[in-house]
Amino acid sequence: MMDKAAVVRIAREEWRFWLRSRTAVAAAAVVFILVITSLVSTAIRIETEREARLQLQAIAEETFRSQPARHPHRMIHYGHYVFRAPAPLATADPGVDPYTGTVMFLEGHKQNSATFSPRYTQADAGPYAFLSPALTYQLLVPLLLIVVGFACLARERETRTDQLVFTMAVNPGSFWLGKSLALAALAFATLVPLGFVAGNAWLQGENGWIALTFWLGYAVYLLCWVFLITACSVWSKRASTSLLALLACWMVLNVLLPRIASSAADAWAPLAGKVQSDLEIARELRDVGDGHNANDPSFAKLRAQLLAQYDVSSVEELPINFRGVVAEAAEEELTETLNRFADRRFDQELAQAELANAFSLLSPYLALKSFSITTASTNIGQHHLFLRSAEALRFSFVQSLNKVHAEVLTYADDVNRSVDQQSEQRTRVDAHHWRVLEDFDWEPASVSDRLSGSLPFFGMLLMWALAASILGWIGTSRGAWSQDG
Amino acid sequence: MNSSPPKPVLTAESLTVDRGGHQVLSGVEFSIAQGEIFALLGGNGAGKSTTLLTFLGFVTPTSGVARVNGQSVHEDIKAIHKQVAYLPEAANLYPHLNARENLDYFLSLAKADNSRARIDSALDMVGLAASARDRRLEAYSKGMRQKVGIALAILRDAPILLLDEPTSGLDPVAIDEFNSLVVALAGEGTTVLMVTHDVYGACQVARHIGLLQKGQMVGDFRASAGNPISADEVHRKFTESHL
Repeated sequence: MMDKAAVVRIAREEWRFWLRSRTAVAAAAVVFILVITSLVSTAIRIETEREARLQLQAIAEETFRSQPARHPHRMIHYGHYVFRAPAPLATADPGVDPYTGTVMFLEGHKQNSATFSPRYTQADAGPYAFLSPALTYQLLVPLLLIVVGFACLARERETRTDQLVFTMAVNPGSFWLGKSLALAALAFATLVPLGFVAGNAWLQGENGWIALTFWLGYAVYLLCWVFLITACSVWSKRASTSLLALLACWMVLNVLLPRIASSAADAWAPLAGKVQSDLEIARELRDVGDGHNANDPSFAKLRAQLLAQYDVSSVEELPINFRGVVAEAAEEELTETLNRFADRRFDQELAQAELANAFSLLSPYLALKSFSITTASTNIGQHHLFLRSAEALRFSFVQSLNKVHAEVLTYADDVNRSVDQQSEQRTRVDAHHWRVLEDFDWEPASVSDRLSGSLPFFGMLLMWALAASILGWIGTSRGAWSQDG
Repeated sequence: MNSSPPKPVLTAESLTVDRGGHQVLSGVEFSIAQGEIFALLGGNGAGKSTTLLTFLGFVTPTSGVARVNGQSVHEDIKAIHKQVAYLPEAANLYPHLNARENLDYFLSLAKADNSRARIDSALDMVGLAASARDRRLEAYSKGMRQKVGIALAILRDAPILLLDEPTSGLDPVAIDEFNSLVVALAGEGTTVLMVTHDVYGACQVARHIGLLQKGQMVGDFRASAGNPISADEVHRKFTESHL
């Protein structure tokens, strides 16, 4: 039977021990400062970026739409920028954002890669820029819990104070639970700042369940470490053995396995290099006709179809501008090819991520990492969603301008536009056509997708917490404290 | 009128303990009646502390049984601990707490009265200076820590006292006070099992002494009516057994 009063009293006494221990207080102070610093600095940076990107997005749209009358194809090459505004929870976990690029230049006949806004590259390049709040919680807070809690039970065993405690009719299970409660309270204290960040994300439009789930995931992760630490402490005859075992666990679970997971994923699902991909794309695009050349033999069939459809004998007689139609058809074919390569690339990246995710079973750190970026909308899948949204916008505005090209300009004016200035003027279409550009509505994955995507990882974290608690419980119930062993 | 012998409170029945391939106790037998002070004497490594730890359930006997009020210790360890107050050899208390805090903590775990007045009264009884009571135990001498341990054992109000080298580190005055206290408690019905290597101290307080040598009982001494156990006799036997 569990004695609740004894459990709470044991936890309180452990806190008193820590508060009177300079090592524990110093370790806690350092980690709290790191947590607060990383949270504040990341929040400021992400907020600044969000505002700037939203502002730049509006400026880019306005700039495009306010261009003077031009030839529509010039507008296709004039292009447009889209910016990926960080998700509200990116303040806690920027995920893959710092590595994947957040700005894209959209133009005709090309699918450009996402790049970084040069304005923020310098800020991201600081020596501790990697220290996001997520990383602090994933790597450093467990270290704090180890430093503070490794001896919580082994110390008592070493000094035999545990025997005196048990002769007070306290059962070993209550003793272990009291120590676990003390460590869990410390873990939860470190989670208070993260709670504020999750709350702030909710105020900024993040779904409340997502914000809560995000925080809960970190709570369960730290609970895994709490139970792992008390289990290790209960099984160790000496505090020094417990510390060494826990540091080894931390190294394996948080450093070695992630490294192995990443290398294994890279080896088992290799990605094609950029040069190789570009060469393959170029090879395939050679078969796609040149959309700038209406006489390209690739469009002979299209020409014949149109002449038959409109029952005319030459393109000059067509009621639409054949050059615009060719541009539209070429863009469609080219986009289809580019999308095929993009899909292949996305599939490869997802396969790689899934392989790495499989290692989450072996490491709570990996499980939390995957859980965190999935919930926060900062994983590779979200980046793909951004790229697809950007591509959809690119294709839409390019094809809309090609349509203007085909329907507003006459073929005769178009082919003679370089004859004199007046001819050139006639090929300029009114600026109101630039309003074909739609707003870039980049939306993260739906709440249900994010919750269902993060659920397996949450389950793995629960499994780890349960396994570690069972390990500790077995240690107490089989009398790990008795003098027999 | 038939007077049946008093029911034994603590009984060791052929207690044998092996640890790490080495026999620490071998067929140890004794029984202690209510209100009796039993001193288990022996040199270093004789198995005295192991006997005590077996009665506390911290050591599982290889064979034989340790019983408290007829119940095997390993049947319901928590029930046994409710009846027993234990004073470890090194008075293993928390060095980061002061005397009052230590006592308050342990008493609250034992669900015993942990009022400050009661704690102070016990500390008065063991002679711990009032000025020392709010100092952390890390600054205490061994004797001072021992006094706090004794105070805890008293405060438990347990019917059985298990004492491991209780006078270790105490000054002569404190030893006399402690001995008087143990005798008084036994007079009130408390059963005492005390392990020590202090022959003369044991003979002062105990009415029954067992001599342990390499895990075996090699001597059993009882005080007769009005006559204490002869320290010289015990000392002679103790020395002979070590030859």
